[in-house]
Amino acid sequence: METIDRLKEAMVEGDEAGCAELAAELVAGGADLKASIAVLAAEMEEVGRRFETMDIFLPEVLLAADGMAAVMKVFAPELAKDATVEKKGVVVVGTARGDMHQIGKDLVALFLGIAGFEVVDLGTDVDALDFIHEAERANADVIGISSLMTTTMPGATEVLKLLRDKGVRDRFKVVVGGAPTSQEWADKIGADAWAEESSGAIDVIKELISGRA
Amino acid sequence: MAYRQWEIMERAATGPFMEEKEFLNKRITAKMREVIKKYGVKYDPAHPVPADDAMADAVWQAAWEFFRDVGVYNQDTHRIMEFSEEEMREALYCAPSSYTVGVGKDSRVFGHRTVEDPRPPFVIFSPDITYDEADFFQACVAYLKEPLLDAICSPLLEDFQGRAIQSKTPFEIGGSMQHAMHLRSAARLMGVPGVCMIAVGTAETDVAQVAVSQPDWGIRPSDGRLVSSITEMMTNNAMLNKGAHYQMYGSFSGNLTGTIYGAYAGGAEGTAIMQAAYHLMGLLTYGCQFQQNFPFHLKYGSNTGREMLWVVSMYSQAVSRNTHLVQDSNGFANAGPGTDMLFYEAAAHAMTSTVSGANLWEHAPARNKHANHGTPLEARFAAEVGHAVARQGMKRGQADEIVNALLAKYEENIADAPIGQTFQELYDVAKAVPTPEYFDLYKKVKEEVHEMGVEFIY
Repeated sequence: METIDRLKEAMVEGDEAGCAELAAELVAGGADLKASIAVLAAEMEEVGRRFETMDIFLPEVLLAADGMAAVMKVFAPELAKDATVEKKGVVVVGTARGDMHQIGKDLVALFLGIAGFEVVDLGTDVDALDFIHEAERANADVIGISSLMTTTMPGATEVLKLLRDKGVRDRFKVVVGGAPTSQEWADKIGADAWAEESSGAIDVIKELISGRA
Repeated sequence: MAYRQWEIMERAATGPFMEEKEFLNKRITAKMREVIKKYGVKYDPAHPVPADDAMADAVWQAAWEFFRDVGVYNQDTHRIMEFSEEEMREALYCAPSSYTVGVGKDSRVFGHRTVEDPRPPFVIFSPDITYDEADFFQACVAYLKEPLLDAICSPLLEDFQGRAIQSKTPFEIGGSMQHAMHLRSAARLMGVPGVCMIAVGTAETDVAQVAVSQPDWGIRPSDGRLVSSITEMMTNNAMLNKGAHYQMYGSFSGNLTGTIYGAYAGGAEGTAIMQAAYHLMGLLTYGCQFQQNFPFHLKYGSNTGREMLWVVSMYSQAVSRNTHLVQDSNGFANAGPGTDMLFYEAAAHAMTSTVSGANLWEHAPARNKHANHGTPLEARFAAEVGHAVARQGMKRGQADEIVNALLAKYEENIADAPIGQTFQELYDVAKAVPTPEYFDLYKKVKEEVHEMGVEFIY
């Protein structure tokens, strides 16, 4: 079995030590790392597809993500030497002020990371200004805000108001979402996009960033 | 009773440190995988209402070990509140098996039920969604008119003084007070001034919950309160504040938890084990008097699909057979009001829960996310099914057959379930009664379910 195939298996099983060892083997052998990453990314897409259909569950996705992270840790110093490696974008995510519901936000952060985005996860109950400060600090492309309660939706509205008041609204794309939200509400508060569910949020953010480029 | 409240609260600051991600991604998932395997817990899709005592006991043993070894994570202090085997046994032994809630003629006994218990379930009526401001009061009235209502958790308010209620602001406090006042007034006008209110849902924060603790116009010690957990097995200081306040104020406290099928707990097996473990979490962390269960499917946000009904039945049986704790089962349907699918879902959830030893909390339609899409009639139907199957002494085997027949009517439509119609479309709002057409639909489905074997009392 080829090293890359063994690496795929180790990644899906979440064998971090095995992933690191096999990734180092590829580096030492002078393998095309971008091609290797493409193979692993395709496997991760399959993991995501199986999660979407509930053939597997979040723990299995987390294992594969840990495996992928172990690989990237080995590849990163080599990739840094390659100026042709494309950066996909930076996304700041969190739940609105007062909102402790984190699973949707967690899934968005996880799958954005798997897809190669740099993710700054601010956690739950995030102050509106903290979204902006962190986006500025990370030079983010997108701010993603999740609200699972009608009483926390105004927290997302507040982020957009502050972006306008600070005169930095054009610097970031803003995606809002969560069970009680709607496209109509997103339009009303001036968000760039709305995503009802976490899986939809990934596609929306990808589109926003590619459109921006 | 609050089990060793201050010793336990101290652990939020002194327990072992761990990064949250490590707690979720390693401790929770690894231990769950271990106990599923160790105790041989296995989902059986053929039997949404399993009559397998050994499996129910295995779920409880797995939940016990899981909770003992995982503990509860405090997001604010990044520390784990851990509990010993002895403490778990002591807390469980000392917990009462029933409580009298509400006041005077409107008081009711909210207690532990056994598997296939012939005593009817305690039924909490609740739509679990928001209504337009103008109709909030009449929506409360419509629910309070229901004869089988033992307690009420009313709709939520969205606006106060012309402004959207925002968590952590004075508008949340004002809106929460208005919520309590409206509900209290509605209860008096409907002739049930002492009814137990599980309230107030508009108060998301600890501060707002404290603000409504007022026996004259607000929430009384005879009422129920809810404190939740964060997915999965996590809390924070605000939630601990709520838990402590409820105990000291004297309200009946419920641990509001919904394990997410497909998320950190994994599939049906892990979801059932986690939900059973939450009973221990509520008892030990917050000193809860009851457990409010609403496990739901990650993709659909409901718990009336085949795998979710198995989950509901399994953890309910596990807790019922191995403890004397008080539990209720909260239905989350896919379809919305005014559809026969919602009535089928409500019947399946109520029947599964009742024969499995749970009380009922009915019913959140349309995946609990569309304003105004909830009416008392689907909750009434669920309550009637629950009372009927208990009184007729229905066994799990018969319930399993009927639930399979009900699933055959709707499970293929879960992904594209209709959201149905609104309270305003299906009710005469001024009179707070269903329209004749809507009532006819209810009667039609009731007759169908009767023909399946449910002996309705009236």
